Amino acid sequence: MPETTTSAIEARQTGTRVVTFGISAIVAILLAAAIALFLNLPDANAFNERVEQLFVANNDLTTQAELKLLEILAQSGTAFSDTLSSYRFVIFVLLVFSTALLVAAVSFLVMLVLLNRRMGQIERKGIEVNSLLISRDQKTVYLNNFEFKLTDAAIETLSVLAEARMDDEVLSGAEIEGVISGRHASDCDEAAGATRIKRLRDSLGNQMISELLVKNIARKGYMLAIDKDVIRMV
Amino acid sequence: MPLTLVLICAGSLANATCYADYKAKQDDPLRLQYGVAQITGEDCSVEQAANELSPKLASDGWTLLNVLGVFDESGLEERKESAGDNYLRY
Repeated sequence: MPETTTSAIEARQTGTRVVTFGISAIVAILLAAAIALFLNLPDANAFNERVEQLFVANNDLTTQAELKLLEILAQSGTAFSDTLSSYRFVIFVLLVFSTALLVAAVSFLVMLVLLNRRMGQIERKGIEVNSLLISRDQKTVYLNNFEFKLTDAAIETLSVLAEARMDDEVLSGAEIEGVISGRHASDCDEAAGATRIKRLRDSLGNQMISELLVKNIARKGYMLAIDKDVIRMV
Repeated sequence: MPLTLVLICAGSLANATCYADYKAKQDDPLRLQYGVAQITGEDCSVEQAANELSPKLASDGWTLLNVLGVFDESGLEERKESAGDNYLRY
């Protein structure tokens, strides 16, 4: 069975395309409808022209009374033209409304599809860290309100990583060791930092959660794989 | 020579008896007119009547719709009532 993969960016691009295409199609269709409607609506002269046709076509219509009658007929038609112009305005307003509604409908539809895809991705990903609460005195870390007990050293490592994450910094193993031990990073061993990370991961217990939280960037160092806005310290 | 003079006079006399009835209109608001007019041109035809009447009517703001036909004095009386104010106006 072939694996179907979708990324959020890809979905968003497709969504933007669909929205652009959909909205332009709606606007084009309704614009065409409006133009056709406005062009085909009869104006006041339609009545006059019809009366004129009658007058020309019938050679018998020559007496004064008949002429007066035809003129009155044309005038009553012209009076109706005011009603027609108000109809025109109402139709225009309705067309604008329907355009707005259809545009909104298309946008919401695409938004719904995108949200569904995003939900699917979140479900596949298993866990997304929305909050990380480090409690030093209780030696506890709360991930999405899941409570994890950690050793002093692991809490220390996590705190260092959290602080670095808030500053958008990536720490190497040596730098982590340096911050914790209070020595200069050049005097520290890269392996010591790596050990601390390993212990942190181990003590967090769940390998999957650890991998999600503590990211290892090749040849650079370690970093928390969470949004820095969600980190709080107490 | 006198004979030709007589002929010319006779010809102009014959032309003077040419009449046409026509239909005209005015726009905004639509007004209609039926009238009878004398045609002074050489030949007594519908085309000649239309050519003569168009500019005359246009100077008063009327548009000639069509010329119904041409006739001589014998046809005047029956059209007098219908034409009303426009009887021999132009």
